[in-house]
Amino acid sequence: MALKIIESCVNCFACEPLCPSKAIYEAKPHFLINPKKCTECEDDYKEPQCASICPIEGAILDALGVPINPPGSLTGIPPEKMAEAMAELQAH
Amino acid sequence: MELPVLNEQPAAKSGCSAGSCGSTDDQLDHLSDEIREKVQNHPCYSEDAHHYFARMHVAVAPACNIQCHYCNRKYDCANESRPGVVSELLTPDQAVKKTMAVAANIPQMTVLGIAGPGDPLANPERTFETFRRLSQEAPDIKLCVSTNGLALPDSVEELSKHNIDHVTITINCVDPEVGAKIYPWIFWENRRIKGKRGAKILIEQQQKGLEMLVAKGILVKVNSVMIPGVNDQHLAEVSKIVKSKGAFLHNVMPLIAEAEHGTFYGVMGQRGPTALELQALQDSCSGDMNMMRHCRQCRADAVGLLGEDRGDEFTMDKIEDMEIDYQAAMEKRKVIHQAIAEEMNSKRAEKHQAAQAFAAEEKLTTRPVLMAVATSGQGLINMHFGHAKEFLIYEASPEGVRFISHRKTELYCSGDNSCGEAETALQKTIRALEGCEAVLCSKVGYEPWEMLEQAGIAPNGEHAMEPIEQAVMAVYKEMAAAGKLEDLSEEQRASA
Repeated sequence: MALKIIESCVNCFACEPLCPSKAIYEAKPHFLINPKKCTECEDDYKEPQCASICPIEGAILDALGVPINPPGSLTGIPPEKMAEAMAELQAH
Repeated sequence: MELPVLNEQPAAKSGCSAGSCGSTDDQLDHLSDEIREKVQNHPCYSEDAHHYFARMHVAVAPACNIQCHYCNRKYDCANESRPGVVSELLTPDQAVKKTMAVAANIPQMTVLGIAGPGDPLANPERTFETFRRLSQEAPDIKLCVSTNGLALPDSVEELSKHNIDHVTITINCVDPEVGAKIYPWIFWENRRIKGKRGAKILIEQQQKGLEMLVAKGILVKVNSVMIPGVNDQHLAEVSKIVKSKGAFLHNVMPLIAEAEHGTFYGVMGQRGPTALELQALQDSCSGDMNMMRHCRQCRADAVGLLGEDRGDEFTMDKIEDMEIDYQAAMEKRKVIHQAIAEEMNSKRAEKHQAAQAFAAEEKLTTRPVLMAVATSGQGLINMHFGHAKEFLIYEASPEGVRFISHRKTELYCSGDNSCGEAETALQKTIRALEGCEAVLCSKVGYEPWEMLEQAGIAPNGEHAMEPIEQAVMAVYKEMAAAGKLEDLSEEQRASA
């Protein structure tokens, strides 16, 4: 079982020093998790550390490929509101 | 952060007792000699110094431990100039190289700050490695850091070991109810904590950090973002509290929120304050403490004099090719800094004299007037109306002339003109001058002249190359003599 960082990662370094298993490493184009090392923090913390500090919704997936921080969960912006604003901007 | 403005007491309240009657522009006057000594060559601390001294930020701190509703962590745009935005993240080693290169090429440089793009103290190794090395390799450069305060109590000891000139803490509230509307979450003791609980911890850490820094004798400036309907009513209390705990300066900045920034406030349509709302709040806070009024809210990787950004000249690949004699550069800086200090001191003395002469004159009883000034520095009216990217706003009153703020003529995005509403640049500029009754510049074209007059703002090009305060006062007296200014009402006089 391991978590995964995907391309929406903004390379902010916040997760890397928190990982108790040293599974996270800097890579191009974005940070990655070594699935062999990742324990999902099971024996160390109640919640996976990377996903607890990551500011980007959707950037970290659980073992089933589901975003741990889904859209709207961190910024508080309702996804439909975000979609509306983006559509509005593109129309201009 | 940008221009240094330490505003004095409002003229209305203090009358002439503030000691800089006549020209009350120099907010440094209201600091103790010891603090003034420390900050007088800091470009962020006086409108005056920022025209002479340069600063830079190095973007070594990408991680953050909280989320603010005015920040979008995905953002990185070359056309944007505002806090939290950078183009190139640096390692501490690169940051040291860049600082040394900039300080060699821009000898007016006095200050190096770390301000992000995340929170410097949430990146303690990268931040402190940079400070450690610069304290050794460029001991004449002052260091400063800004933080949201969450990790501050744990960092105070380390901060006190370096050449840290001052620390800026962003404090937007002292009430967790308010905080919950600004900070959706914090990361604390290995957990993400949302809402009021998170805000409460953040506020406690900020206040504790402030007290600890003051106890160590480190200067603390407090930044607050003014968010209408969220904390605007609350910031006067914040100002009172942080001053009572020993912060030497309070900088209230307007919220920047545009939908295209993708921030919570931007997308949800939260507006920023108008220039007049900001000014009213700054005035209401300034009874309690020194207010900073010239902050230009610069990028986390800004380079150069305030209001300009020469970051493009110092990208890492360009720096690699530079040949620099660091020792010679430091000696050159010393000479240049001294010459600037002398010039500033003589200007200060001149202003003081003018203020004394003014105090001896017979007092007008007319109401105060706001005027806008186009300047490229040196304290002179020396810019063409159409070239001004920002205007300095002064208030003229029977008590004298005081610097109020700067106002940008462009919106924060300098990208293509198609974004935003269909308003011409000139209309935007005139809107930015809301509340002003005159604009002083070296020249004004025919078209803007007409539009300014229609908007009730008298264009004035008759004081080109004159010192700003003198010209503003001259125009004020002309307006008074022409009967354009009714007297202060009894009520206003009573409150003055």
